[in-house]
Amino acid sequence: MPEWKPEILRRLALLRLSPAREAEIADELGQHLEDRYHELLATGQCEDAAFRTAIGELKGEDLLARGLRPVETDWYREPIAVGKDGNNFFSGILQDLRYALRVLRKSPGFTAVAVLTLALGIGANTAIFSVVNGVLLRPLAFQQSQQLCVIREIVPQLTKFYPTFPANLPSFRIWQQGLHSFENIGIAAGISMDFVRRGGAIELPGAKVSSSLLDTLGAYPALGRNFRPDEDHLGRDHEVILTNSFWRSEFHADPAIVGKAITLNSESFEVVGVLPTSFHFPQSSELGALTNFSPRLAFLKPLGEDPSQIDLMGDFDYAAIGRLGPGVSLAQALSELNVVQAQIAKQANEHMDLGAEIIPLASEVLGPVRQSLLFLLAAVGAVLLIVCVNLANLLLARVPRRLREAAIRTALGASRARLVRQMLTESLLLGILGGSLGILLASFGVSTFVSAAPPGVPRLAEVSIDGRVLLFAIVISVVTAALFGVLPAWHIAHTELQDALKSGATNTTESRRTRRLRSSLIGLEVALSTVLLILAGLFTSSLVHLLHVNTGFSAEHVLATDVDLPPRSYSSNAAGERFYDQALAAIRTLPGVLSVGWINQLPLAGEGTVSVIGLPSTNKADVSNFPLADFRVASPDYFSTMEIPVVAGRIYTEADRGRKLAVISQRVAERLWPGKDPRGQLCLINWSGWKTFQVIGVVGDIRTVQMDKSPAMMVYMQDLPFDNVALGGSIVVRTMMDPSGAASGVREAINKIDSNVPITALRPMTEVISKSVDTRRFQMLLALLFAVCALFLASLGIFGVVGYSVERRRQELGIRMALGAARQDLLRMVLRQGMTPVIAGLGAGVVGALLAGRLISSLLFDISANDPVTLATVVLVVAAVALVACFVPARRAMRVDPIVALRYE
Amino acid sequence: MEWKKGSAELLILSLVEARPRHGYEISKLIEQRSGGTVRFHVASLYPLLYRLERRGWLHGRWVEKSGQRRRRYYRLTRQGRRVLASQLRGWREFVVGINRITGVENA
Repeated sequence: MPEWKPEILRRLALLRLSPAREAEIADELGQHLEDRYHELLATGQCEDAAFRTAIGELKGEDLLARGLRPVETDWYREPIAVGKDGNNFFSGILQDLRYALRVLRKSPGFTAVAVLTLALGIGANTAIFSVVNGVLLRPLAFQQSQQLCVIREIVPQLTKFYPTFPANLPSFRIWQQGLHSFENIGIAAGISMDFVRRGGAIELPGAKVSSSLLDTLGAYPALGRNFRPDEDHLGRDHEVILTNSFWRSEFHADPAIVGKAITLNSESFEVVGVLPTSFHFPQSSELGALTNFSPRLAFLKPLGEDPSQIDLMGDFDYAAIGRLGPGVSLAQALSELNVVQAQIAKQANEHMDLGAEIIPLASEVLGPVRQSLLFLLAAVGAVLLIVCVNLANLLLARVPRRLREAAIRTALGASRARLVRQMLTESLLLGILGGSLGILLASFGVSTFVSAAPPGVPRLAEVSIDGRVLLFAIVISVVTAALFGVLPAWHIAHTELQDALKSGATNTTESRRTRRLRSSLIGLEVALSTVLLILAGLFTSSLVHLLHVNTGFSAEHVLATDVDLPPRSYSSNAAGERFYDQALAAIRTLPGVLSVGWINQLPLAGEGTVSVIGLPSTNKADVSNFPLADFRVASPDYFSTMEIPVVAGRIYTEADRGRKLAVISQRVAERLWPGKDPRGQLCLINWSGWKTFQVIGVVGDIRTVQMDKSPAMMVYMQDLPFDNVALGGSIVVRTMMDPSGAASGVREAINKIDSNVPITALRPMTEVISKSVDTRRFQMLLALLFAVCALFLASLGIFGVVGYSVERRRQELGIRMALGAARQDLLRMVLRQGMTPVIAGLGAGVVGALLAGRLISSLLFDISANDPVTLATVVLVVAAVALVACFVPARRAMRVDPIVALRYE
Repeated sequence: MEWKKGSAELLILSLVEARPRHGYEISKLIEQRSGGTVRFHVASLYPLLYRLERRGWLHGRWVEKSGQRRRRYYRLTRQGRRVLASQLRGWREFVVGINRITGVENA
């Protein structure tokens, strides 16, 4: 058979065409000459003559080149599968994209798995990042928020109890007049007022604010006006500004509401303005300890300042927000402020000093949620890394098949750089597809997160998917794609491609290097999931420990009913006493009720009244000599209802009313009268002035403020030690059966006594406890979710790798079996090879968890970050899951029929 | 022989009008139908095919039929079909014109 191509190629050489085009033309023309040659042979010519005639068709040395030159030299379209470096960079990229699309479409299963896992990984990351962005990164929604700061007062003598205090009114007025560092200062305190609407009275959360507050924040009402300075004073304060959400929900966004009156606490208030949607009042978590603002404010009202009641060193109740003047530094402002504070202390003459601290408003937000959120971001990042590893493994598994294709393309003139670019384009395309789907998933994730998150997370309302989040999603999609695409691409670039061409396509064996690479990727996956599982395990154990902590009372079978007494009809202690007496008596007669009591504030539902307590001999002038205790007003039956044990003495009774008797907790007894009998002892307390009480009994310590804080010192009394507006409180009911069953009876009984008393909450006491650990539970659930995802992905990865290697080694396994290997031996061999990287990964994971544990130890409760039980449990679980993932494909290896396997291929 | 400008293109386009053909087939058909008077060599046929393909009148595609080596088949594109129609019209007018001038009348 004559060779035509060399002759043709020699003539084409002049044109300097691309090798691909040259090969194509030679192919076509060669075929033509071949046809001509056979035709000539058929007419009876000898081979030699036929060859010469056929070659003659090329007509001399340069006719072909001359004919082709005008057509070919300025026209060269690269065949799509070839991958030679094109002249035009962008057309090359388009071509790569088209080719990548075709490759992905050809293996829909692989593409679907890759895109879905990527979408989950990227979606989860985007969702958590949008929370981090909204809560930690985005500037506060106030004009020039970097100038805003929180001002708090420091009483050096009290710093061991409270490092700082919110501001008090007189200080605020003095600051307003005397400070030049601030452009403006405003103060606010959380309040709640009763609002009657159809369906009954509700307690409406609001804030009383100085007329300067909105100006300070740089916010203006969307409708109506701001408060005027003269409206700060008592008697002129019957105006309200509504928040946008309350205006929408309650008044259907009626603009005519401005100028009309609404009734709060049975008094009439004129609506003077409505705030814009964009206004978000800073939350308590931002404004510091001892401030109390609801996350869902309904209204603002003026201060109602009473100039006749000025206490320079008392009532530190207000959150103060200042706006620094242009160019004024925090340090400058602070030094000026401290000079003024010293003057105030001197003027007050109460033997106490006064200082202040100024903290940028933005940094206040970051506080305690920062660590939790960053942990979640790290956890979800680890899940994405596992997704990357899985995809890299999947792509590596496809490498042998792709090697042959790459070899052909190289033979046709593609450079290695071009091959790598093509492979990266494919992963990039996967990344983009997964990322787009991920952003969709993230928008669902964000709304779920926001509705499920516990109330302690600040600024949740501001969480949304904005430009920065989108940018983040795009960047992680691209980085992810690069991460999982670079290994297979690098691999192809560094393989002797000619070898791939020599051996058959399907039988191209996986090199030792690929296998080692795939094993180490499995190790990495296992290590990451182990770290996540151990951390999630630590969180879970913390929560379990916390829920089993001895609270000191029994919450089972107890129904807690919060009531709020409207101040107008309950303007004295006596009125309150009457209401509670009647309510307790009515509820006591309900069927199934064992006992009933009331307390002004439930345990674990927030801090109550905290003040000093001491012996009568203590020097009152120096408050720092006194320890602090939590004060509660409780009915005699409260203790038996909550099953708080009486340790010594007795509880006060109805007959003791007005006798200034106190029941103390064990810790108070140990602190004030160590080793002595506290019964009958006198103690000095400061609750609206100094008073002496006699201790009548000692009860067990209980967790009052937080489950994870050791019990506070508690002082219980039967009546408020001064006459005041009657207290709201909680009625606790111990029932024989499920406490929820008693709810309607209790509600009816209260309504019958006074239907104007709003019931603000009605739930089993167990729910109060469970709510107090909401933040921890939420964090634990998310950590657990990510960890389980990680383990699932890792087991998929193991399953895939082991299954793939069994598939590739069918022949080898068949030969081993034919040579007499027992099926059990094969099973053991496959399992050993599959589990080796798992065990290495477990080791690395445990080490990683020990290191990471140090970072999160402050989030744990009653468990060490290297708790051996958690470590061992997780190691066992991961090992068991990995073993199953190896075992399924390994069993397939055992079933290999040697005859079939050998015939195969 | 002297060619009218574009007549070689017309020949090729009309040959692939009915169905796609490969280069060798096209050259054989031209030779047969002209009774051997018109012959294309490799060196002239393929540059012409490539030019027509570049203009978008023809579309070439590698086809592998069983038992044969793969060949490049050319088919007429939609644009090629329009060009062919207008060239045929021009050709007929040309022939009619020539006949009138030379006095060869149709009976």
